[in-house]
Amino acid sequence: MIGFVTSYIPLLLKGLAVLGFIALSAMFLIWLERKISAKIQNRLGPMMTGPHGAFQSVADTVKLLLKENIMPTGADTTIWWLAPFFVTVPAVVAFLCMPFGSHFIVHDLNVGILFICSITSISVIGVFMAGWGSNNKYSLLGGMRSAAQIVSYEVPLLLSVLVVIMESGTLSMQGIVRAQELGWFFLKPNVFIAFVIYLISATAETNRVPFDIPEAESELVAGYHTEYSGMKFAMFFVAEYTNLFIVSAVAATLFLGGWLGPFRPSMFWFLLKAYTIIAFLMWIRWTLPRVRMDQMMGFAWKFLVPVSLVNVLVTGWLLVVKG
Amino acid sequence: MSVVVFYFLAFCIGASAVLSVTVRDVFHSAIWLTLTLLSIACLYFYLDAGFLGVIQILVYVGGIMTLFVFAIMLTARIGDRSIQQTNRQLWPGLLISAGAFTIMLKIILSGPWANLITLNPGIDLKVVGRALLTQYVLPFEFISIILLAALVGAIVIGKVKE
Repeated sequence: MIGFVTSYIPLLLKGLAVLGFIALSAMFLIWLERKISAKIQNRLGPMMTGPHGAFQSVADTVKLLLKENIMPTGADTTIWWLAPFFVTVPAVVAFLCMPFGSHFIVHDLNVGILFICSITSISVIGVFMAGWGSNNKYSLLGGMRSAAQIVSYEVPLLLSVLVVIMESGTLSMQGIVRAQELGWFFLKPNVFIAFVIYLISATAETNRVPFDIPEAESELVAGYHTEYSGMKFAMFFVAEYTNLFIVSAVAATLFLGGWLGPFRPSMFWFLLKAYTIIAFLMWIRWTLPRVRMDQMMGFAWKFLVPVSLVNVLVTGWLLVVKG
Repeated sequence: MSVVVFYFLAFCIGASAVLSVTVRDVFHSAIWLTLTLLSIACLYFYLDAGFLGVIQILVYVGGIMTLFVFAIMLTARIGDRSIQQTNRQLWPGLLISAGAFTIMLKIILSGPWANLITLNPGIDLKVVGRALLTQYVLPFEFISIILLAALVGAIVIGKVKE
């Protein structure tokens, strides 16, 4: 019995490390987003709590923990309660095969990249549950828009990931990183097109400007999480920023060589690349206006999907020609 | 220990499958069906068939269930709590499903399962791709024709009539 228990201790420690990283990363990203938006809009941003407002997120977390949990009348109790978990848990599980460094990975599944793509697609159900369970028009509309958007942009996203899988010939995250030892994938022209398509689709998947239609605050209050307060709201918030980290870390792994890099430990390079992509996505968010719903869907189906299909075809042709 | 995990997953699959056809609220039954499909994916992972589990989640939960829930949300008044779950075809349906269950049980009990258990060294993508385009090329092409027909059919039905 004791041997059985001790065999699970390393697993437990890895899980706790992932949870700790997610909490810290989400708090840091929220602070970073406020600072970057302030710089772009020529403001200072949070300055009062700690040096340059560094502890603002900590203060916000304490505030959210102490806030009352309000449930709307007529809400579908069970669905309403479960929705935040359906959104947060997949984001945590996706860290199972996130290659932080040459030895820092919880478990290198041989279907790693597909595992991350499939697990993160579960959170759509949570968004639906939040929209349906809240008994609120704005939530319902936000949930439906989110579903349409995520289903549409999942197609170009997976097709651009497919290009990388074809180039590397493996699904394992560590295998994809090792396949780039001779040269990062985004230096090849066909993979660079896939990289651009991936970034556009990832922006849409994480519901960020210019594709933040599900929670367009000027028309839908806050979209599917309008009715949530306190810690339940915080769970949606943490999930949002964790998903932002996941798409950026996957982009760094697939296109920018993951943890490969000279002189420094591998984890340093991985985090540097991932946070650079996050900063880039934040820059886009605070620079561009929101696009219209029908324009956005048309862009996905009439432009991104055909381009990525042709890209897959060209990649296959190139691979056959090269032998 | 591993037996406990297996029976727990089997219980989850069975219970959520029964609940998905007995609860009154359509949205609730969709969520129970999602849980059934997720538990089946967990069973695949537990049996070391990672590829199958991943595809199960990607296709069923990420694709089909999303469209189910989308359809429920778009249909007016279907979320009404007092919808009747049975119709006059309850008894014929029960007979047919009982027959199908008996046949499947017979097949399962007659199979030489013990000999089939081999250690799976992990799926190689190249092997899967080759098998799909050589040994199983006929069913593969057949499925793609069915999908194409369904696509064309959906466009015809969805086209706005002038």
